[in-house]
Amino acid sequence: MDHYKLPISDINKLFKDKKLKPSELYTEVFERTASTESIIHGHLSLFQEENIKKATDADERFLKGDELGVLDGIPVAIKDNINISGYATTCSSQMLSNYISPYDATVISKLKEEGVIFTGKTNLDEFAMGSSTENSAFGPTKNPWDPSRVPGGSSGGSAAVVSAGSAIASLGSDTGGSIRQPASFCGVVGFKPTYGTVSRYGLVAFASSLDQIGPITNNVSDAKILYNSIRGHDPFDATSLKDVNVKQPKLEKAKIGIIKELMEDGISEDAKSEVHKVSKLLESQGHEIIEVSLPLTKMSISIYYLIAPAECSANLSRFDGVRYGNRVNGNTSYEMMEATRAEGFGPEVKKRILLGTYALSAGYYDAFYGQALKARSMMKKEFTETFEQVDYLISPTTPSDPFKFGEKSDNQLEMYMSDLCTIPANLVGMPAISIPTGLSSSGLPLSVQIMSPSNTDNTLLDFAQNLESEVSFDALPQIQGDGE
Amino acid sequence: MTEKINIKNVAKLAALKLTSEEEQKLEKDLSMIIDHFAALSEMELPDEKITIHPLGMSLNLAEDEAFKFFTHDEALSNAPEAIDGQFVVPPALD
Amino acid sequence: MNIVPTIGMETHVELKTNSKMFCRCNVAETEKPNENLCPTCIGLPGSLPVPNKKAIEYITLLALSTNCAITNDGMFHRKNYFYPDLPKNYQISQFDLPVGTDGSLEIVVDGEFGTVEIERVHMEEDTGKSTHIGSGRIDSATSTHLDFNRAGIPLVEVVTKPLIKSSKEAVAYIEELRQLVIDLNISEGKLEKGNLRFDANISVAYENADELGTKVEIKNMNSLKSLEKAIEYEISRQTKMLKNEEIIIQETRHWDEKKEVTSSMRSKEGSADYRYFSDPDIPNMILDEDFVADIKKDMPLLPSDKRNTFIESGLSIEDANSLGKSATWIGELYNSVSNITKDSKVSFNWITGELQGQLRKLEKATPPNWLNPENLSEIISLVKSDKISFTSGKEILSKLIDEKINPEEYAVANKLIQENDTEEISKMVKEVLDENEEVIERISNGEQKLIGFLVGQVIKLSNGKVNPSVAKELLLKEIEQ
Repeated sequence: MDHYKLPISDINKLFKDKKLKPSELYTEVFERTASTESIIHGHLSLFQEENIKKATDADERFLKGDELGVLDGIPVAIKDNINISGYATTCSSQMLSNYISPYDATVISKLKEEGVIFTGKTNLDEFAMGSSTENSAFGPTKNPWDPSRVPGGSSGGSAAVVSAGSAIASLGSDTGGSIRQPASFCGVVGFKPTYGTVSRYGLVAFASSLDQIGPITNNVSDAKILYNSIRGHDPFDATSLKDVNVKQPKLEKAKIGIIKELMEDGISEDAKSEVHKVSKLLESQGHEIIEVSLPLTKMSISIYYLIAPAECSANLSRFDGVRYGNRVNGNTSYEMMEATRAEGFGPEVKKRILLGTYALSAGYYDAFYGQALKARSMMKKEFTETFEQVDYLISPTTPSDPFKFGEKSDNQLEMYMSDLCTIPANLVGMPAISIPTGLSSSGLPLSVQIMSPSNTDNTLLDFAQNLESEVSFDALPQIQGDGE
Repeated sequence: MTEKINIKNVAKLAALKLTSEEEQKLEKDLSMIIDHFAALSEMELPDEKITIHPLGMSLNLAEDEAFKFFTHDEALSNAPEAIDGQFVVPPALD
Repeated sequence: MNIVPTIGMETHVELKTNSKMFCRCNVAETEKPNENLCPTCIGLPGSLPVPNKKAIEYITLLALSTNCAITNDGMFHRKNYFYPDLPKNYQISQFDLPVGTDGSLEIVVDGEFGTVEIERVHMEEDTGKSTHIGSGRIDSATSTHLDFNRAGIPLVEVVTKPLIKSSKEAVAYIEELRQLVIDLNISEGKLEKGNLRFDANISVAYENADELGTKVEIKNMNSLKSLEKAIEYEISRQTKMLKNEEIIIQETRHWDEKKEVTSSMRSKEGSADYRYFSDPDIPNMILDEDFVADIKKDMPLLPSDKRNTFIESGLSIEDANSLGKSATWIGELYNSVSNITKDSKVSFNWITGELQGQLRKLEKATPPNWLNPENLSEIISLVKSDKISFTSGKEILSKLIDEKINPEEYAVANKLIQENDTEEISKMVKEVLDENEEVIERISNGEQKLIGFLVGQVIKLSNGKVNPSVAKELLLKEIEQ
């Protein structure tokens, strides 16, 4: 029987009951990889050789009853902007195609302690900038549901491999929706934690005040397991939170708000009807659905596309060919840096760096970046006030089902609009989860997004898990070449 | 936004060498995005002290205890060019 | 119409913490380059800054000791520019919310008190060290070598208001600031090691002008001497230009130590656009009242405190100032010795003149541990009371530095005790005069310098014991008769 779509806790039970060995699971997963990667291209690198030994080490542990925990022996894929010591971290960029990390990200150290087996590094939009993985310097990833369509981005690889079964779960990063949107497009679960609950040390920074690492999984229970093993205060990350106790939202008879502004123009009928369908299910579970208005969400794209490029313009300054990276020589060091960056960065990255540089430059700071900061602050207030009325907020995850390759690449504003529903959670810092709930009229996955106040992550996950079992989404992609 | 973006200047600040085609395309693309910001720029928003952390957390300072992280070789492991243990670049002018 | 200069000083103080400002790499000097590094201080992808608590305590101490207002809710900013010794191509610094603002520092110039007003005191990180390889001149280098050991070391930047009026004042200010950071124990304060680095901003204007002139920044002054010379040169250069109605360009100029001139550096188009914005990796830094009170509580004695104590003990402002800037043991020795001898000036002269002079000749930094306030005071008293001559005093001191002796016993044993008895000396004077009648004749005819010869004879007769001034006095009396 196939095990690669089972929940992690079920797999762990099979391991403990000696009905399945970690090396057997790994072989299964690797065979999935072998048969799907040529179509999907989700992984940039595979750690096959050392994983065989890791899997047999895990076998030993379970045999002796020495297992490390529920994640022991579980194959997890890692987005290639998260550092694993001794391996390439390319961020899907020519700039770093030859870069080997000399250190582990904190989340990686934590997962290593759990006995997780890293399948390899997955494809992304270059430096996490994009919503389709079309901006990868190493070729796009295809959506397992339809290879002529994008898997979403920027964590397209991470979402595709979970969907295809070439990893049990994966880690992605989310700055404006980069976990949730690809999860939605690939019909899997994607969770962006409260800002600061998961360490960013070792995550190649895109926008420091927005980035968070999070899990992409087959189901909510797996997301909860993975989240709780990677979260926690980290002394290497000054923005990482120490445990904060806040009032938790209700799990029963909760009040749920549909965000009016995210059910209007720019949202497809399919996406809207998913939200309505899910709302009815929630009502049948005893919850109350109301409509809420958050006017500033209409400014989300503008606010985000000022703050994120500004921060990234500085975060990417370090890529200059001096201490690492693919150097292109020059007569002077400045000429070398200019040429290295010209050749190393793709067009979207250059665009965002220039946009950010412009927004911060003398004379423009107040009108642009300064203004965006103020608007962000106001937006946070709007959400705080709204959460006094409701326990959770619900919206579509994406404006539509997965689009075709090339469909939006010539229209930058339309591409940016893909993030309309997901950006608010990053701007405000609150947790947000996307769960697949149905199929569009084209047979492609659709999801809804649930958000809750900051520092209520585990409650949100529990709530989502209850909804998930009510929704009972069990469709799977039929990947070309899938013997079935 | 009626003001034209001086793309050459911005590229210089960002140490990005652009071809003239890139300059043209980027100038156009950026102007379009910036026009989109017009609505935000015109909003009346109250002045407020900036809170850096989205959740309003304040800074935890670290104890002044030194420890060794990289060996010399690890630190230079990705160096495009190194001589006598130092990173080497083309001459840096002031 | 008078043309007057205006000077503002920007000084970087290297703090002596154990670890760097934003990571925990060791700050100690190493033999090899690139030894103390981590992802953060070489700007690897995915690295993050975590500020150093001790560095913040030190900067707060400095800000408080210069009477600055402390910013209770501050932050760090990114200062963006590209240069290979800057690992992230931005420096984490502070822009509009520095730790300290609007302070002042008491200085001494030409023996008088003055005040230098301080604009701001802020925290930042140092860059790596670049060495230009080639013919030595930066313009013809063939490559640049980089050592990042220094990258990330905590620096405090102190900026004065542009109110300094002369090179002397600027030098006195740097001396005071250096002593302050040493006394606060936050920096080694060694100029030659780069613990303290400074740039000067200089402009000139007519005395009655409404605005300041165009300011020019001068870099590369590595000692107080070069600071003074560079300022003087630049003032004179700008003054000439102003008189000739030439336009002074706002620029950065380089002090050339060999040629002793300032020269234009490779021109940068206009002033740099650093695109400062608050660093999103570092939350707001809250320095609350309790924190500030704790720092204040442990404030050590400041140079101005010590100076005042010395002045109260009887020294001039000038002497008190220089004593405060000497090594700690000197001030302590002075305090004890002047307490015993009750003569501040003489104690000061003996310690800073004789003792330090002799030690310097022997290339010793400190006196031996058996040299203490008591035996030093003994030598001083012996000389003061005319029991021994000043020359003998110097001899005893020299001996004391060499080995543990008792000054008075030594003086007696070596027959250094002077004859002061007038009667005894008169006898010897009469004897010498009797034997030197021709000399007396010649003195009466105007050869005054032969008096010295006669004094020498009396000294010889007394085997060196006679007090020369008493002998001379008596000789002259006798000769007049």
